[in-house]
Amino acid sequence: MKTRKWGSLYLVLVFIILYVPIIYLIAYSFSAGDTMANFHGFTWRHYADLFADTRMIQIVIDTLLLALLSSLIATMIGTLGALGIHRTSRPVVKNTILSLNNILMVSPDVIIGASFLIFYTALKIPLGFGSVLLSHIAFSIPIVVLMVLPKLQEMRQTMLDAARDLGSSNAQVLSRVIMPFIAPGILSGFFMAFTYSLDDFAVTFFVTGNGFQTLAVEIYARARQGINLEINALSGVMFVFALLLVVGYYFIQQGSARRKASHKAESEAKLNEAAH
Amino acid sequence: MAKKSSGTNALFYTPYVLWLGLFVIAPLALIVYQSFFDISGHLTLANYQTYFSSGTYILMTVNSVWYAFIITVVTLLISYPAAYVLHYAKHKQLWLLLIILPTWINLLLKAYAFIGIFSQDGGVNTFLGFFGIAPQQFLFTDFSFIFVAAYIEIPFMILPIFNGIEELDESFVNASRDLGATGWQTFTKVILPLTMSGVKAGVQAVFIPSLSLFMLTRLIGGNRVITLGTAIEEHFLVTMNWGMGSTIGVVLIVAMVIIMFLTGERKKRGSLR
Amino acid sequence: MTEPIIELQHVSKRYGDTVVLKDINIELERGKFYTLLGPSGSGKTTILRAIAGFLDVSEGTIMFDGKKINDVPANMRKVNTVFQDYALFPHMNVFDNVAYGLQIQKLKKAEVQTRVEAALKMVRLAGYADREISELSGGQQQRVAIARAIVLEPAVLLLDEPLSALDAKLRKDMQYELRELQERLGITFLFVTHDQEEALALSDEIFVMNDGEVQQSGTPVDIYDEPINHFVADFIGESNIVAGHMLKDFLVEFNGQAFECADAGMRPNEPVEVVLRPEDLDITTIGNGKVSVKVDTQLFRGDYYEIVAYDSAQNEWLIHSTNPAKDGDTVGLTFDAEDIHVMRLNESEEDFDARLESYEDD
Repeated sequence: MKTRKWGSLYLVLVFIILYVPIIYLIAYSFSAGDTMANFHGFTWRHYADLFADTRMIQIVIDTLLLALLSSLIATMIGTLGALGIHRTSRPVVKNTILSLNNILMVSPDVIIGASFLIFYTALKIPLGFGSVLLSHIAFSIPIVVLMVLPKLQEMRQTMLDAARDLGSSNAQVLSRVIMPFIAPGILSGFFMAFTYSLDDFAVTFFVTGNGFQTLAVEIYARARQGINLEINALSGVMFVFALLLVVGYYFIQQGSARRKASHKAESEAKLNEAAH
Repeated sequence: MAKKSSGTNALFYTPYVLWLGLFVIAPLALIVYQSFFDISGHLTLANYQTYFSSGTYILMTVNSVWYAFIITVVTLLISYPAAYVLHYAKHKQLWLLLIILPTWINLLLKAYAFIGIFSQDGGVNTFLGFFGIAPQQFLFTDFSFIFVAAYIEIPFMILPIFNGIEELDESFVNASRDLGATGWQTFTKVILPLTMSGVKAGVQAVFIPSLSLFMLTRLIGGNRVITLGTAIEEHFLVTMNWGMGSTIGVVLIVAMVIIMFLTGERKKRGSLR
Repeated sequence: MTEPIIELQHVSKRYGDTVVLKDINIELERGKFYTLLGPSGSGKTTILRAIAGFLDVSEGTIMFDGKKINDVPANMRKVNTVFQDYALFPHMNVFDNVAYGLQIQKLKKAEVQTRVEAALKMVRLAGYADREISELSGGQQQRVAIARAIVLEPAVLLLDEPLSALDAKLRKDMQYELRELQERLGITFLFVTHDQEEALALSDEIFVMNDGEVQQSGTPVDIYDEPINHFVADFIGESNIVAGHMLKDFLVEFNGQAFECADAGMRPNEPVEVVLRPEDLDITTIGNGKVSVKVDTQLFRGDYYEIVAYDSAQNEWLIHSTNPAKDGDTVGLTFDAEDIHVMRLNESEEDFDARLESYEDD
């Protein structure tokens, strides 16, 4: 009992460490001063600055567009790849492909960035939106594969046999049984790819030219010049955005779990009734 | 049936295999290839010679590995107990989401926050001021670099360890207690060995990126700390000596392969489960 | 006699050097309940999968309604399967699962609706159409799996150990329902199980399988009363199997004594095995008994006592008795001539059937 108490205390401490910097960052977005020191009184000024900064807003839109586009394409290629890997029966081929798939997952960002830079230069691909998009697609594909593959492996052979037994052709098995079944994996692959893209700094930093900036690259440039409370305001907006997503996700999950549980209990009660 | 599906199989594979070839194999091959060229484009082994003969590069590599090691150990020491407590916590799904939430805040924003917190008149020094301690220099020190790096990596260590502990069958723990082991003995003899795969995954997820956190060395380490990542960035984007940069890149890849090998899941055992 | 709906002729299946089916010959008539019974690995599920079209046989012909269907893919065969793990589609609700095959055939919505409802009613799940699969109990999932298969009105329904995941009580209930369902639908059921009680209770005809071969086929009563060999006698029900010699027709020797029996058609003095079912043995005094045994242990089974006893040659005897015995007592055992069943060693099913016919017709 006592250890449990210490445990909770420890967990709370870890959470404080995790959240203090974020809260610190956001708190100063409301400070009337110009540095992250000595709170100077409440103001919305930095938020006003942020929303008036058309360059920053353009960069936010570009970053979101890039994330959306790259994760969509990566999801398609990755899902097809996972289907291919799943169908491959020779273990040597399968393991080789899986190992190759994981290279980009474990490679440090600088290696990916540097090697892609050499690659684009060798192929004379101009640096800019195109090269950044290609890179984001490339490093998002393996995570999609890793999210979809377990779902495919979870799928029992008898389920596919049943679909064929009930008259479906190969294409119908794929579209009516396999795809809906692995849809949750595809969806989480898509979200992972999306966050990878939003989160990336190093790879983009290497392969972007002068014409195209993402949010991360812009923050890096501004942060190297010193404190700018507009960035704090931006953090505030992004945190609220992330928080809403997380809370929404949590309640949807809890809600559906509860509904299922009650339904099941109800149907079991009915069955018992019928048995007696 | 198997014969008919091979046609569609090729269709599935084509874009994916193209990706494997163009964005996995080709860039890796190119970085190795590039490492044999000097700054003026001559084929040479000079880069490797420079790397191995000059003390600076060796020292930097050792330093970089050392820093990554400390960051990993610090992260692990904080994360394992946290993951363990989390496993027994009420509402653990909610707690888990709260662990994940900070990873959605861009890494650069978090680094940027620490520029404020660690600055001369920032949060930490203000706090210390209450106790009458004079302002200290935190920013641009080894301490601040390790602290911020560990801070950023903690969620990536907690998650795999937490998953490892979740997979652990509670009846093993009960069996161990039933057979007379104390709490600590149960932990060292049963829980820790059975959650080792999670620890290994966490170490992998933290150690390798820690070798290449060049933006942190720039923003927080103030160029005092030079890691392999910083050196690569320097050579590629500042001095434009791609050959040397690639050579260091190859060293980093070798380091990565060693780590993967040391922490790799033994395939046989994994498939048995 | 009508033409068989399914016929397997000389069907074999090999994986590399492993033979899983050896020269299987089976005929299934319309409207009957057949069971493939055997231990795991005996090849019974392989036969089912070969008929369903999930695997290609190495040799032999599979006929459906007089036509060879070896090369017809599974989705074009007019047989449907109820899988052991049900294989319901977890991402669809009950209605969509049952409607799946009809929608594949692109039937009109209204017809799908009526047929799904009828099928659900048939398996007593009317009103469950909107439920998710995860909300159903094991027994309910089982019914959905059956509804999903019968809604397509197959000529033959293949059932792959469909009851094995259910608890004992539910299992018994489902046995009644399955039998009733088969009679109502009037189609052929081919049922796979390793549970001999289930097979005896349900089937019109049983194929007992072992090592990829059909050991014996026949009605439950035939197989129980006249097992062809040691394996069948041991696998179906419980039995005491004693080595002996056939002295002449209707006289067999075992345990050092000669007994009258109901079997004939063997060579004089041929070594045989004698089967005595535990429920056919009655406990009596030593003087009245044909065999004297010493009671070793007994278990109360509810409707009878299961008694293990040993004779002077240390052969084990299993006795089912309504009255308890005393541990350590020596008692006599009696049985009638008809209770003795004599089996020849290595007799083929054809020879066995021919021999039985030769003296039973008299």
